[in-house]
Amino acid sequence: MPVLFRRLFPGDERLTQLLPLLHQAGLRLEEDVEVMVVAYQQGRVVACGGLAGRVLKCIAIDPARRGEGLSLSLMTELITLAFERGRPELFLFTKPENHALFAASGFYPLAEVPGYLVLMENSPDRLRRHCARLRRQRQPGKRIGAIVMNANPFTLGHRWLVEQAAARCDWLHLLVVQEDASPFRYADRYPLIAQGTHGIRNLTLHPGSAYVISRATFPGYFLKDQGVVDICHSQIDLQLFRRYLAPALGITHRFVGTEPFCPLTAAYNRRMNALLAGPDGLWPPVEVVELPRLEVDGVPVSASRVRARLAAGDWDAVAALVPPTTLAFLQHAHRRETTPA
Amino acid sequence: MEIVKDAVAGTLESSDALVRIGPSPEPGLHLTLESVVKAQFGEAIDQLARATLAQLGITQALIAIDDKGALACVLRARVQAAALRAAGKEPSEWSLPG
Amino acid sequence: MKLRRSMLFIPGANAAMLSTSFVYGADAVMFDLEDAVALREKDSARLLVFHALQHPFYQEVEKVVRINPLDTPFGLADLEAVVRAGVDIIRLPKTNGVEDVQQLEAEVARIEAACGREVGSTRLMAAIESAQGVVNAVAIARSSPRMVAIALAAFDYVMDMQTSRGDGSELFYARCAVLHAARVAGIAAYDVVWSDVNDDAGFLREVEQVRRLGFDGKSLVNPRQIALLHQAYAPTQQEVEYAREVVVAADEAARQGLGVISLNGKMIDGPIVLHAQRVLSRAAGGIRE
Repeated sequence: MPVLFRRLFPGDERLTQLLPLLHQAGLRLEEDVEVMVVAYQQGRVVACGGLAGRVLKCIAIDPARRGEGLSLSLMTELITLAFERGRPELFLFTKPENHALFAASGFYPLAEVPGYLVLMENSPDRLRRHCARLRRQRQPGKRIGAIVMNANPFTLGHRWLVEQAAARCDWLHLLVVQEDASPFRYADRYPLIAQGTHGIRNLTLHPGSAYVISRATFPGYFLKDQGVVDICHSQIDLQLFRRYLAPALGITHRFVGTEPFCPLTAAYNRRMNALLAGPDGLWPPVEVVELPRLEVDGVPVSASRVRARLAAGDWDAVAALVPPTTLAFLQHAHRRETTPA
Repeated sequence: MEIVKDAVAGTLESSDALVRIGPSPEPGLHLTLESVVKAQFGEAIDQLARATLAQLGITQALIAIDDKGALACVLRARVQAAALRAAGKEPSEWSLPG
Repeated sequence: MKLRRSMLFIPGANAAMLSTSFVYGADAVMFDLEDAVALREKDSARLLVFHALQHPFYQEVEKVVRINPLDTPFGLADLEAVVRAGVDIIRLPKTNGVEDVQQLEAEVARIEAACGREVGSTRLMAAIESAQGVVNAVAIARSSPRMVAIALAAFDYVMDMQTSRGDGSELFYARCAVLHAARVAGIAAYDVVWSDVNDDAGFLREVEQVRRLGFDGKSLVNPRQIALLHQAYAPTQQEVEYAREVVVAADEAARQGLGVISLNGKMIDGPIVLHAQRVLSRAAGGIRE
């Protein structure tokens, strides 16, 4: 019986036909799916899978059709779709019991929460090669620190954090989150961080990667607005850090600012301590150091605070919270936005 | 011929192979291979892929092959298809040398 | 005498089918680069077919390729590939008139010369898929010494005729026209595909119908249909015995240098001998009760 594949886009009412199949697999149709590939046989939905950025998700096969190569055909369609959109480097999350299916499609496990979740990518050695490149940037010393920073935008609080951390280490590696999910794009955030940390001698700035707090490896982080507390996903993100990235750079300490406002980030920091510093086989522990945030007018400086003052048009307040380089950028951006075209 | 973008050809179905080719930051052909007959034919498949790419004048690329028991002629076709796509060749051209 | 009973369609993008279809014993295999291949796979399928054509597995089988029409972005590249790869017959889809054949022939000759293949060695098959093609069938069938067969294709034809596939009456005139064109030109005639692979009875009914009309063979989409078709075309024991007698008589007359062949007191002329030879060829595929 021939199988027909169709691509459905958000808003297509035929997407509702997928819900029973997804539900049966314990999944739901996620909002960030850009395209769903659906397999039909005699007019009925027999399999589906979606592409969201670099991530394959919402993959479900009719249990009655297992073992017919249908899943491989679906994966071929998804991979081809991803390549058409210029995304050859793919990730997916799945339950560990489904690991074999995806292994047969060219995916390899990166990190796992036993019994719950496994993160896979479509290469046996891409992460390893990434770490090999990182390894070339090791620095000598007993205390090697790391900060993972979004900086949305870069504030005096961020500068303070980096200064404090650098002062406590022989060398500090600053890993920038690459996702463009925040109000400020990576292309703008990265230069602001670079300019804002100018003059700190023992610092290496690292461009972001899929392996550090990305949609691919830590989707829950970006769904914060919906209050999704993603224990499993944060565990995977931290596992990647501890087992791959930290050893590559020789990280001994990870620095975070205390989190006064966001309960989800605060919870993540606590989990970080348990997973990075706690026992984990032979992987060397990474000590988590929480540094108190810089305060201005008795209130901790944070990017969310800056964004709030910005939205209110309170430029005086903004100027007190960010370095001159960030202020210049914000003013320029504001002028561009409010100048009639 | 130069590899300028990522491309894929073939399928994961039985008797076929999914071949992915993309630009590489370093010279040389970096090839990863999974095959349902890896133990018996892994070496042969590797050599066939390299020879096929050499014939096309490709010396720098990342190649990933997921082989599902494809015949040599199928492998060759899939490697060539992925390579030509990755080199930006038009599907309306016949671009094999000779 | 080349048997042209069964022509098995193989989708050019399907690696598994390309890898196995030589075993089924079809008289000819047709690798399809046209309707069976999605646009995004046109280049990939062309390469699969290019290599399959040269594979030892297919050496003994007559190899046909249905290229994309020459007015699409793909047709010419298809031709470049498959002529070089040693295809036996090019099937030209949607042949509407003699100019289509002439255009194809010119390109084929150019490629043969360019790649060192004997000019004229690549044969042609015209596919009639429209009212215009039906009406021009005789001219098309005669338009080239390379033409070895003419095939009726139902799907596009019935759309052009503004009707739909049914009990076969919608194909009546087209079948007759194509058949007559084939006979006049001295080439083979292929009937349309039967696509309901689960309805053997319906398939056999249609086969019987077109066999009686005189079709040499049929395009097939499922290997199972091959044996059924060959059996339906198999001569009866009686036909075979008679055919043997005719051939023996003809050989005897030739040996004795006689100008006239006689069997059981009756004169046997050329067409009867030819027919007998055909019967014996078909007998190789099996004999019916």
